[in-house]
Amino acid sequence: MSYIRCNFCGATNLRSRKRCRRCGMGVEIKAKKSLQTAFAFLIAAVIFYIPANIYPILETTKFGKRQASTIVEGVIAMYQAGDYPVAFIIFVASILIPFVKIAALFYIIFSLWHNRCKRLEQKVWLYHLIELTGPWSLIDVFVVVILVALIHFKNIAIIPGIGATSFALMVVLTMLSALAIDVRILGERCER
Amino acid sequence: MQNEKDLLICPRCFMLHKKRSLAKQDEARCQRCGKVLMRSVNALEWRVLAFSISGIVFLLLALLFPLVDIDLGGIRSSLNMVDAIMKLWENGELFIALFAFLVLILFPLLFVGSLLMVSIAMIFKRKRLARDLLIFATTLSHWSMLDIFFVSILVALVKIYEYAQIRFDSAFIALALFILIEIYLSKYIRLEWYWERWEQL
Ligand SMILES: [Zn+2]
Repeated sequence: MSYIRCNFCGATNLRSRKRCRRCGMGVEIKAKKSLQTAFAFLIAAVIFYIPANIYPILETTKFGKRQASTIVEGVIAMYQAGDYPVAFIIFVASILIPFVKIAALFYIIFSLWHNRCKRLEQKVWLYHLIELTGPWSLIDVFVVVILVALIHFKNIAIIPGIGATSFALMVVLTMLSALAIDVRILGERCER
Repeated sequence: MQNEKDLLICPRCFMLHKKRSLAKQDEARCQRCGKVLMRSVNALEWRVLAFSISGIVFLLLALLFPLVDIDLGGIRSSLNMVDAIMKLWENGELFIALFAFLVLILFPLLFVGSLLMVSIAMIFKRKRLARDLLIFATTLSHWSMLDIFFVSILVALVKIYEYAQIRFDSAFIALALFILIEIYLSKYIRLEWYWERWEQL
């Protein structure tokens, strides 16, 4: 193809252009830089994934007795309490999506790096799925924010744990990683 | 060789298309993957103007007034977004407080505010200004997360509904309306189509 799509505004540009004719953003594909940036963000996300799951996302102090629950414990508690729909939402948003997202980003970055052109459509579809569902993992963090604001007893203190901060950072880092990937690399190398 | 302006590349499957003129309320889809590539939006600037003004009003209502009131065994409290974030800050949760402030207050306001300015700049045919504002809005479009916050409120309430009496305030409805408007302004009308309209100025 002698044309290229601008990632920022969607304009069609002649391949010879360096900057988009419409929005002025750089329009060349910089595959190596894009994948390296995405990979760096992804590694950082993996590092925060560990404390996000080990440390409590919510700590409650009841009459001086401390109780902390991690994301996984929260899901189990909701399930045991019989709140199946909420347990399911939290499970999907906080455990399944982040895990699948990190695995899928590794897969996409790896296969773009090695110019694998198999299952091209599925990869593009997977990428758009990640982009769409990624930020929804933040539900758990916002729930903590809401509970902290709503519940204030004299003898019970609720505070967000280290887990909540790590989890929020992890989600933001995976979003940055996904944004750094230039999907055009797929179309570019495999169209011919 | 064709003019670049008459061509369109599908964002999903990268197939090259020639643009066609659309009738009212018409859509053009990708021939290969079926993704909507063009959608005719009548008087786009004026629609965006009307929707973004109402969006900002609803958002301010949602920010300034309590969203829900609860009664937990006689102890009443209410959820107010600004207060909630201030409380986090005071508790020393600096990162979460800052993050929540950005994605729940600042970015949504700036995003819809910049679309409002885009529509005004386009109505007055200030092309240069409209372009700079569109760049700003496009950059912000990923970082407004009130829709996620809205679902989070429902999840949080399910966690405490057994122990608490819950009353939804009208600001909660304002928040829901803001989210619908934001979806209309950024998903139904894709940002790409603002750029298309801008090109025709
Ligand atoms: Zn562009």
